[in-house]
Amino acid sequence: MKKKRCFEETFEEINNVQVPRTLPLLDHIDLCEEEDGVVGWPPINSWRKKICHHHHHHNSRRGCTNPTNYVTVKNGCGGGSRSNSMYVKVKMEGVGIARKVDLSRHHSYQTLIDTLMAMFVNEKVQGYKLAYQDKEGDWLLAGDMPWGTFINSVQRLKLLRNGN
Amino acid sequence: MQTDPNGPNPKKSKDSPSNSANTESTQSPSPFPDEVLEKVLSFLNSDKDRSSVSLVCKDWYNAERWTRTKLFIGNCYSVSPEIVARRFTKIKSVTLKGKPRFSDFNLVPQNWGADVHYWLLMFANVYPFLEELRLKRMTISDESLELLATSFPGFRALSLMSCDGFSTDGLKAIATHCRSLTELDIQDVDMDDFCGGWLSCFPEDFGSLEVLNFATLDSEVNFDALERLVSQCKSLRVLKVNKTITLDQLQRLLLRAPQLMELGTGSFQQELLPGQFGDLGIAFSNCKNLRTLSGLWEVASIYFPVLYVACASLTFLNLNYTALRSDEFGSLLAHCPNLRRLWVLDTVEDKGLEAVGSSCPLLEELRVFPADPYDQHLRRGVTESGFVAVSRGCRKLHYVLYFCWQMTNAAVATIVQNCPNFTHFRLCIMNPGRPDYLTNEPMDEAFGAVVKNCTKLQRLSMSGLLTDLTFEYIGKYAKNLETLSVAFAGSSDRGMQCVLEGCPKLRKLEIRDCPFGNAALLSGLEKYETMRSLWMSSCNVTINACQRLAREMPRLNVEVMKDKESDDSRADKVYVYRSVAGPRRDAPPFVLTL
Repeated sequence: MKKKRCFEETFEEINNVQVPRTLPLLDHIDLCEEEDGVVGWPPINSWRKKICHHHHHHNSRRGCTNPTNYVTVKNGCGGGSRSNSMYVKVKMEGVGIARKVDLSRHHSYQTLIDTLMAMFVNEKVQGYKLAYQDKEGDWLLAGDMPWGTFINSVQRLKLLRNGN
Repeated sequence: MQTDPNGPNPKKSKDSPSNSANTESTQSPSPFPDEVLEKVLSFLNSDKDRSSVSLVCKDWYNAERWTRTKLFIGNCYSVSPEIVARRFTKIKSVTLKGKPRFSDFNLVPQNWGADVHYWLLMFANVYPFLEELRLKRMTISDESLELLATSFPGFRALSLMSCDGFSTDGLKAIATHCRSLTELDIQDVDMDDFCGGWLSCFPEDFGSLEVLNFATLDSEVNFDALERLVSQCKSLRVLKVNKTITLDQLQRLLLRAPQLMELGTGSFQQELLPGQFGDLGIAFSNCKNLRTLSGLWEVASIYFPVLYVACASLTFLNLNYTALRSDEFGSLLAHCPNLRRLWVLDTVEDKGLEAVGSSCPLLEELRVFPADPYDQHLRRGVTESGFVAVSRGCRKLHYVLYFCWQMTNAAVATIVQNCPNFTHFRLCIMNPGRPDYLTNEPMDEAFGAVVKNCTKLQRLSMSGLLTDLTFEYIGKYAKNLETLSVAFAGSSDRGMQCVLEGCPKLRKLEIRDCPFGNAALLSGLEKYETMRSLWMSSCNVTINACQRLAREMPRLNVEVMKDKESDDSRADKVYVYRSVAGPRRDAPPFVLTL
C-alpha cells in the first residue's frame, strides 16, 4: 500500500503534473451529456436523455396530474443539451472511473461539494480537498475565489484524499 | 425449402452419377439444370439458409448469388462494397448496420465512420433496381440522401434507425424524387431539423405511402399537406406523427385513415370541447385494425377513454415517453387484455406493474424505462417487486428490459422460475456495482438462475455487483447465448475467459469498465473469427496485446481508441471484428488500426 502522504505533498504532486492543454479526443466526444455520474451510464440513448432532462426540470412532482411541458430542442446537438450546461470531468484520487458534473446547476461551493460527495459515496473518504485546473492549466485549491470567478476559470476537478 | 444436396428426388439421385462422393466436384453434372436450381433457390428468404446453400458446392454458390435479392450486412466494415458488387448482381433490398452499439451511449466519438456514401455510389452503379434501404447506426449525409433519391427510379422504402449526419433537407430530396415511395421510417436519429417543409415536398397526387414515421422530428409540418397525404395514401398502415400534432388534428387524420394498423399520436393534452372529445372517441373506435399505439406525448389521462375501444385489440402499447402514475396507467391497462408487447416509464411504479401482471396474461415483452436515470437520490421508479408481480401474471414473458435501482438474487430466481422462456434478459440496476440490497451479496446467483433456467436465452445484459462466478455460470449454462453486455463486473481475466470458452453461439460481446486484461483478450484469439464483434472499453488491456491479436489473426480488424489522459500503453477502447475486407480505409485519426 502507498505510504500515507500529508496534504501538502499530495497537492504538490498535482501542481507538478504535466497535463496537455488540449485534449483532442475529448473534443471529439460529444460533451452534450445530461449526466452527473459515469460517462454513458445508465445505458440509455440520447433521444431518451432529451426526454429525461425535460422530466427532471419541468416536472418536479413526479406523478403529478399536470402534464410535462416539453421544451423542444431546436439545435443539432446530439445529446440535446441545454445551451448553458457546463460539464467538467471530476476524478477522485485513486478511483478509476471519472465522473462528470454540470457546474451550471450549482451556485455555491457547498452544493457542488455535496453533489460530489454523493457521487463518490462508495469511496468512504474520510477527508478530502477539492482542486481544480484553471484555464492556464494550473491546478489550484478550490474555495479561495468567489464562485463566479471559479466558474469562469475551471476546466476540470479533482478530489484529493487527506493524508490522515 | 429443401436444401438436401442430393436433390429432391431420392430415386433419381441413387442412379445418377453425381451421387454421394462427387457432389462437390465441378466435374460431375448437376442432377438438374441451372434454371431449375435458381428457381428453387429464389424461394429462399432467410440469410442463414442462403449461407448454408452457398457452401454446398460451386454450382449452388453461383445459383444462390444470382438469386439473392435481399442483402443483410450486420457490420458494414466486415465486407466492402466492391466484394459485394462482385458477388451479387440482383440486389433490391439492403440492410446495413454500422457503429458498435455502445455508440448509443456516447462511448464512440463523432466522425468514427460508418458513412453510407461509398456504399450508395456502388449501389447506384451495380443495383439500379434497388428498392429498399434500411440503415442502423450509420452516418448518412444530405448529399447521400439526394444521391439515393435520384439514382433509383423504383426506390420504395427508406428506414433510418439511430442514424446521424443528415437534415430535413435530405428528407426533402426523398419526398420530392421518390415517386414510388411506400415507406419512410425515421427513428431515434440525430439530425438537424430545420423545418417541417420536407413533408410538403411530396407531389400533390402522391398516394403510395404505407409507412410514415416522423415521430422523432421536432418541427411542425404543414398540416394540410399531411392531411392530404394521409387521405390519398389508401394503403397507409403505419402513421407515427410528431408531438406538434394536436388532438383535434389527430382526429382529422384518423378519419382519413381508419385502416391504420400502427398509430403514433402527437400531443395528447390539448383542451377539448365535449363535442371534440366525442369525435375523437368515434375516430379511434373506427380504427378496427389498430394493433400498435405509441406517441402519447404530454398526456392528460382524462382523455384515455377515447382509446378504450381501440385498446381491446391492441397487441403493442408503447408508453415509453409518457409519465403516468400507477392509477391512471392501471385504468388504461384494464382495457388492454390482448397486449403482447408493452413499453412503459417507471413512473408507474411497482403498483403499475402489478396491474400489468393482472391485466395482460398474454404479455411476451416488457420494457421499463427510467424517467429519472440520473437522480439517484430520488430512487423512485420500480423495484424487484414489480418485476416479480409481472412474472407471476405473465407466464409467456420472454423479452424483458428493466431499469431499476435495487434488485435481489431471490427475486430474480423467482422471476425465472415463473418465466423460464426468456430469450432476452436485460437487467439494468442503475447504480454501478450494487449488491443484493437485502443480503449484501453479489448478484451472481441472480444471473446464475437466469442462465440455468432459461435455456433458450439469446441475449443477456447484466448489472450489479458481479464476480467471476457469474461468468462461470454463463460459460457453463448459456449455450444459446448470442449477445452479452457487461458493465462494472467480474473479478479477473477468468471471467471473460469462461464466456469465450463456454458460449458456442456467442456473436456479440460488449464489455465496459471490467477488470479484464490481456490474458482475457488473447484467450479468444480464434473465437473472435466466429463472432461479429468484440467491444472492450475502460478495461485493463494494453496496446501491445492488441497488436499481438492483430498479428496472429489477420482476418480480424483490431481498432483502438485512446483517451489522451491515460498512459501510452493502455488501450482504452478496443473494437475487434472479423472482416474479409481488410482494415478500413476511412478510419479517422483517433482510431488506431493495428
